Amino acid sequence: MNTLEIRDLRLSFRLPVGTVEVLHGISLRIARGERVALVGESGSGKSVTARIILGLLQEQRGVRLAGDIVFQGRNLLRLPPRERRAVRGTRISMIFQDPTSSLNPVFRIAPQFREVLARATPDLSEKAARARAAELLDEVAIPDAARVLDSYPFQLSGGMNQRIMIAMALANRPALLLADEPGTALDVTIQAQTLDLMRKLVVDHGTSVLFISHNLGVVREFADRTYVIYRGRIVEAGPTEAIFHDPRHAYTRALMAAQPRITGGGLPDIPERSDDFLAPLIEHEAAP
Amino acid sequence: MIPVLRLAAKRIGTSLLVLFGVSVLIFCIARVIPGDPARVALGPNATAEQVANLRAQLRLDEPLVAQYGHFLADLARGDLGRSLYTNRPVTTDIAEFLPATLELILVAGIMMIAFGLPLGILAARFRGRWPDHLIRVLSLLGVSAPSFVWAVGLMLVFSYYLGWFPIAGRIASQFEIGRVTGFLLIDTLLAGNGAAFRSAAAHLVLPAFALALSGIGQAARLTRANMIETYETPYIEMARAYGFPERRVANRYAFRPSLIPSLTIIGLDLAALLGNAFLVEAVFGWPGLSRYGVQVILRKDLNAIVGTVLIISAMFILVNIIVDVLTVLLNPRIRHAQRGATP
Repeated sequence: MNTLEIRDLRLSFRLPVGTVEVLHGISLRIARGERVALVGESGSGKSVTARIILGLLQEQRGVRLAGDIVFQGRNLLRLPPRERRAVRGTRISMIFQDPTSSLNPVFRIAPQFREVLARATPDLSEKAARARAAELLDEVAIPDAARVLDSYPFQLSGGMNQRIMIAMALANRPALLLADEPGTALDVTIQAQTLDLMRKLVVDHGTSVLFISHNLGVVREFADRTYVIYRGRIVEAGPTEAIFHDPRHAYTRALMAAQPRITGGGLPDIPERSDDFLAPLIEHEAAP
Repeated sequence: MIPVLRLAAKRIGTSLLVLFGVSVLIFCIARVIPGDPARVALGPNATAEQVANLRAQLRLDEPLVAQYGHFLADLARGDLGRSLYTNRPVTTDIAEFLPATLELILVAGIMMIAFGLPLGILAARFRGRWPDHLIRVLSLLGVSAPSFVWAVGLMLVFSYYLGWFPIAGRIASQFEIGRVTGFLLIDTLLAGNGAAFRSAAAHLVLPAFALALSGIGQAARLTRANMIETYETPYIEMARAYGFPERRVANRYAFRPSLIPSLTIIGLDLAALLGNAFLVEAVFGWPGLSRYGVQVILRKDLNAIVGTVLIISAMFILVNIIVDVLTVLLNPRIRHAQRGATP
């Protein structure tokens, strides 16, 4: 059974000037333990999709949604708000772009960690929470957990905060992890280390991952399957290797050409818009 | 904790300099306003000789610098001179009238924080919905009229028409309360007199509220604005993504970081209560230091003017020091910078 299945998801915002549709019918699925990437440029609708899955967008006014988001057999879009919220932080969790600004600057790590643990175990004592947090920090290769727990986020390095974010995200053993451009704010070596760590942990725990990124190099290393999104539409989908070997959609090819080569050759020339980019979905068959 | 104490000590040191400056300034200003204090004190029938005698007694015939020297020498012994108006040492007058003003200002300050901050939190949390609109209109009203206008308005409606509160004074006249601290709320409790306590509290409500209103409005508006800014940060999105209850997100995760920038302004507003108390005390016949200050200025009672202004400046500075220390305590970034820790 799929952990997550999104069918024909449409999102529009009601504005004073009329209704603007942002997502034009997105469908994707993530099997248990599968790592799936959603790739596209900024404004394509990838981050918004993650926020709809979490139910964050629904709480804003003027948001209209249609379609289905089935998570572990339940349609999240049809759940009453209270039950939808209960899923957050327990069975679905999220990692954000910039770890240091995603942690509250006026609280130490320990109470923030405890609050996350309390989502799944409300009656956890302070001492037990601390012990559990130290264990989880050990999993993300933070050796001196006691010092880190008593620190404020600004006293720790970006890489350290990213490890803390990963530990928090997996603390309640969620079935689905949404990773929205994780570590984009970090430098490349730290980003590679923390992504490697994250992959190891999600494989160990059998966590499904929706990995949102514009960085094709990272996606290729991380994801089993990839969806390419362009202006609110999925334009190409299939096993990551198949897409990278044989990109068939004009936009996918443009996206790949847009990656500057380490060997030089200048910045590639990509058209801003092209009718080819709006061509219908291309689906690669199952992985070989 | 130690760095905080060091900061406080440093601030107290610099504030002594400020107080010295204030004393020079007020000493000179009090002496250049037109009118002869001796003539005012003795009344229109006094002879030129009597006036001259009093001037000599007050050392008003000496040069300004020498007068200031005498003043400093007396001040070092804790003597602010005698008041011509009450014919008592100024320190005795201040000790009598200051507690009433402090009581009024403390209660107004508590009201300002206890109403202003929660209203700001509510407005930010329900931004764009009816609680927000209501709070914004009310706080704008509070900010836009000066406190003596509120004092007259509140007195008219709640004391005169509705009769819910006494019109003026600190306590009903039938109560004889022994003076211990000068704070009637405390003294009535010490005397074990419940009826007197209720009377003192009822007398305090309207003047304190009138005094607090603009501060409440200001604190609510400021808290709302800072909270709305904090709501846009990634760490609030993360708190929501982890499903923390919206109430807790507001009261803890968004409020705490928002309080730091608000605190300085709220501190200034608290200190400003001292100045606004002048007119509110006048409206409600409140026997406090501010009313005393107005009377001595009108009579050109030099020692009393200088003494009153110095005490009020000292309290102003004290509030600012407290706010500075609180800011450091609330903001871990500054607290750790003080300790010399590098991130």
